[in-house]
Amino acid sequence: MGRKILTVDDSKTIRMIVAKAFKPFDCEVLEGSNGVEGLAVATRERPDVIVLDFTMPIMDGYEMLSKLKSDPDLKSVPVIMLTAEAGREQVLKIAKLGVRDYLIKPFKEEMIIERVSRVIDLKPRGEAVAKIKSFDDEIHILVVDDKPAIIDQVRNGLADTKWKVDGVPAPGQAVDLCSHTVPDVILTSLSLPENGGYSLFQMLRGANKTKSVPIFGLTVKTDTEQQTRAQQTGFTGVITKPIDFEELKTRVCRTLNLDTSLRYFLQKDGALVMTLPADFSQSVSNEVSVHLRNKITLAVDAGIDKMVIDLSQLKKADITLIKLGLSTIQMCNELSIKYSMIGSEAVCQECKNYEETKDWRLVTSYQDAMAQLGVKLAAAA
Amino acid sequence: MIEVMEELVRGAVSEVFGTMLSIKTVPDKTLKLISNGDPHIASSVGFIGEVTGVVFIYSRDEFARLITSRMLGMKPAEIEGDELVNDSMGELGNIVVGHIKSRLCDRGLSCVLTIPSIVRGSQFTIEPAASATRMVLGFRCDNNEQVAIEVLIKPMDTAEP
Repeated sequence: MGRKILTVDDSKTIRMIVAKAFKPFDCEVLEGSNGVEGLAVATRERPDVIVLDFTMPIMDGYEMLSKLKSDPDLKSVPVIMLTAEAGREQVLKIAKLGVRDYLIKPFKEEMIIERVSRVIDLKPRGEAVAKIKSFDDEIHILVVDDKPAIIDQVRNGLADTKWKVDGVPAPGQAVDLCSHTVPDVILTSLSLPENGGYSLFQMLRGANKTKSVPIFGLTVKTDTEQQTRAQQTGFTGVITKPIDFEELKTRVCRTLNLDTSLRYFLQKDGALVMTLPADFSQSVSNEVSVHLRNKITLAVDAGIDKMVIDLSQLKKADITLIKLGLSTIQMCNELSIKYSMIGSEAVCQECKNYEETKDWRLVTSYQDAMAQLGVKLAAAA
Repeated sequence: MIEVMEELVRGAVSEVFGTMLSIKTVPDKTLKLISNGDPHIASSVGFIGEVTGVVFIYSRDEFARLITSRMLGMKPAEIEGDELVNDSMGELGNIVVGHIKSRLCDRGLSCVLTIPSIVRGSQFTIEPAASATRMVLGFRCDNNEQVAIEVLIKPMDTAEP
């Protein structure tokens, strides 16, 4: 369950800055524009911490704090004063009231995050929501590389997803961008001038907002020295160039714990349809296998007793495909599910040549596959 | 007093613009109050106590919008209307004058701040009372914008020996 942070300030600007600062964290930011509103929200919501301004109309921070401290239910709520007035006398006055900490304006977002995280344990919002994110959601990827061609490659390589790719040439710009919007994943070149990739890693790990963002290093496949150094530094992983985009997608999905099943499975026309992509590989097979039993079980549970195995995008039938096909058929048989298979011409032809697959009754269209299952589809308009 | 105030204003503007807006400012004696007919905005915050006065922060309307966007991490085009700009400029004034007030208090001159207020227009000037000491400081920002700070100070009581 998320934490509750109450910001009490007569300036909407400050309340918006505080709300924005904590947006990347699993917490709710509540607001009050003066001491009276602040007390009402505190009584109703029992926040985990209060960020309190000093000078406000109607009831100032000093009076609100005195009232909080005299309320048995609220006196233990930690209060951090956020004030523009920082004379020695003022600081002493604040300290005597029993505030947990104070922050003087002007301040940067990082400073308020740092003060609050001393008082409560802040978890990145990603940790709480990653499990319900799926491959089809918009994932924000930041690429830091001084070679524009690499940024373009990543953008093009992921163009078949809904993922958003931003690219910057230098670590400073990456830090600026992260201070506004925290990306889901960062890819940084390890060959930036002056060890920029490593400095960036340290800066991002040192900041509360970005300390949990997965950071992959980008380096040439043959540069094993950089790969070892990146692993020792603590990078989430290393992506080698030339980039294998299927591998990149798989690693991003795994790192963010994305639900990838929608890439391969859907329920349609009363059947479970499993579609294997054109770039089918061992890693795709592993991913499909992880979801296979669960998807078939859920379909059966929902009253579905038919399955279409669509191999029409594949250019060839190799041992990895055959193994996956056989295990899918076995699962269908175990659960008494009728199945049919669609193949490209090449796959249909190759399957006839293998002992394990010579009995597969592959058809070449979805309509024919459904007809095999006894479902007559209306002709397309 | 006016020399002290000049030093405090310079320190406050540099600190507040640098920290909150990532804008470097350089004092520029050639700059005066903005009065070329462009829409501009003045944020004012007063201080009352052992030293009493008021500080006005002048900027072009467009620059005030940029300041607001920097404070809130938004794009200037995303800021609709003037309400948020007024609030941000008021808070900027509050922080600048709060900074000055803290240093005054450390020098034994305690005072309290007033709630910020905003004046908008294309051609206006603030006329101080004849007895007030007036000071105007110009600052050039690293994005080629400028701000002017006007400080009006009421003469201090001289009842003490």
